[in-house]
Amino acid sequence: MSWTIKHCLRLSPLILPYLVLFCGGVFLTVCQSFGILTPLPHEGGALDAYAKLLADPAFFASFFFSLGVAAVSALLAVITGTILAYRVWQLPRQLATASLVYKIPLILPHISVAFVILIFWSPSGIVASVAHWLGVIQTLHDFPNLLYSGWGIGMILAYTLKGTPFSMLLVMALLFRFDVRQIQTATMLGASGLRIFFTIVLPRLAPALHTGFIILFLYSFGAFDIPYVLSESRPGMLSIHVYNLYFKHDLARRPEAMAILVIMFCFAVLFIIAYSKIVNRLESGVRKL
Amino acid sequence: MKHAATFLVLILLFALPVVVLALVSLAPGWRFPDVWPADFSIKGLIYLAQHQRQILMSLGSSCLFSLLTVLTTLLMCLLPAAVFARSNFSGKALLEGLLLAPALVPPMTFAMGLHFLFIKFSLADTLAGVVLILAMFSYPYMFRSLVAGFQTMGKDYRLCAENLGAGTMSILLQVELPLLMPAVIAGGSVVFLVAFSEYFLVFLIGGGSVDSFTGTLFPLLNSSNRSLAAILTLIFLCLPIVLFLVIDTILVQAYRKKGMI
Repeated sequence: MSWTIKHCLRLSPLILPYLVLFCGGVFLTVCQSFGILTPLPHEGGALDAYAKLLADPAFFASFFFSLGVAAVSALLAVITGTILAYRVWQLPRQLATASLVYKIPLILPHISVAFVILIFWSPSGIVASVAHWLGVIQTLHDFPNLLYSGWGIGMILAYTLKGTPFSMLLVMALLFRFDVRQIQTATMLGASGLRIFFTIVLPRLAPALHTGFIILFLYSFGAFDIPYVLSESRPGMLSIHVYNLYFKHDLARRPEAMAILVIMFCFAVLFIIAYSKIVNRLESGVRKL
Repeated sequence: MKHAATFLVLILLFALPVVVLALVSLAPGWRFPDVWPADFSIKGLIYLAQHQRQILMSLGSSCLFSLLTVLTTLLMCLLPAAVFARSNFSGKALLEGLLLAPALVPPMTFAMGLHFLFIKFSLADTLAGVVLILAMFSYPYMFRSLVAGFQTMGKDYRLCAENLGAGTMSILLQVELPLLMPAVIAGGSVVFLVAFSEYFLVFLIGGGSVDSFTGTLFPLLNSSNRSLAAILTLIFLCLPIVLFLVIDTILVQAYRKKGMI
């Protein structure tokens, strides 16, 4: 018994703030989505906000748009990050130090990464200038309007730039513990570079790829900073939608903002559970070396 | 040749933006179709000097709440991490999963609910409120790092100190914490970066009365004079690097003094 109490006491510095701030915060969000504890007394039923959202095609458009931007950018970041990490790992030792430049976007805040994307990809940006110099385009208007195309390309570029070094970091941590003899053996047995990468290296990196994908996907799905700089109005990201409802509309619409947050929260939790279940099932059939 | 390609991609993706930012900061009027800025000016730097006070204040404030966040997460995670690294109990995996959740779910979902609570307890618009909210969603990085640190350290040092008659507190402070320093630094740097670069949560809970560097930078991003935003972004890049180098040097010297390396 005393053992349990001692453990609970030692865990309390983390458990107490967790219960009060995290669980409490989510609880208050849920409450306000039902119209309880809102700044203005809520008139109408508890599920009004949800009914309104679910009947609104703009909400679904925004939901699937966020999903798409998050999925594409996380996928691109994980793929680029893995390939780059593998190539950097193969660099000779003297060059490895120079490859530390990949950590730059890790340090830059999200809004600065968005700024970099603006400088490069806006219609009058660096890429357009270089294209003009190369003779690919003649005037400013020939350059495709990537940032405001309605496809979220600007945000995808920004999230990919920010996410690539992150997945490189995760993959690199696994690669440094990787047994090079496995690759040497495969080379001696005549395996090609691609075959080595896909059948020997990639399966070992799977945990880092899954972790990286979950973190990047959920972050891009719910974050605010980058969409706020690079946002397109319609369909916007969910976080921008919530921000507008929370700060720019009148207080009576507070439950709606909170209902979107509750749906985002439930989606994130379900996604984590479903993803880890699927990965577990897939990997249970794989032979471990 | 193969390595050259790798390097080219690395430089194009990650180093070129910094070079371009440096150019933009010295050439406010750089426009299409110039591939290289037509003329340079130090207007951005002059503006920087004029608004020196405000920028330094926000930089200081950002550093302060980020360091306090690191300290808070360390205090929150130190003892629980020891429990997680050293003992097995039923439901441990589930508890660990639950405890890592704040870093995964969108922080808006609990921060906006908490905003209400913080207003009620007058924590909104205060430094303490900002530190609490930042600690709440960045502590998982510190926690993971400390658990790994405790696992690498093992139980032997603790047993040895116990046998020699050291109390719980002195074991923690004199034996374990110095040995854990690499893990603290690793977790702390991630927490620092996360807190230092956050815009929205500081804006929501700080409400403008807590200065932040991101808050100063934000309105400049879409302004016509891009050079100031570029200069501030470069400061953003340099400050954490300088900070990490300083901490690294101090630590190496401290360890040398104790004869640990």
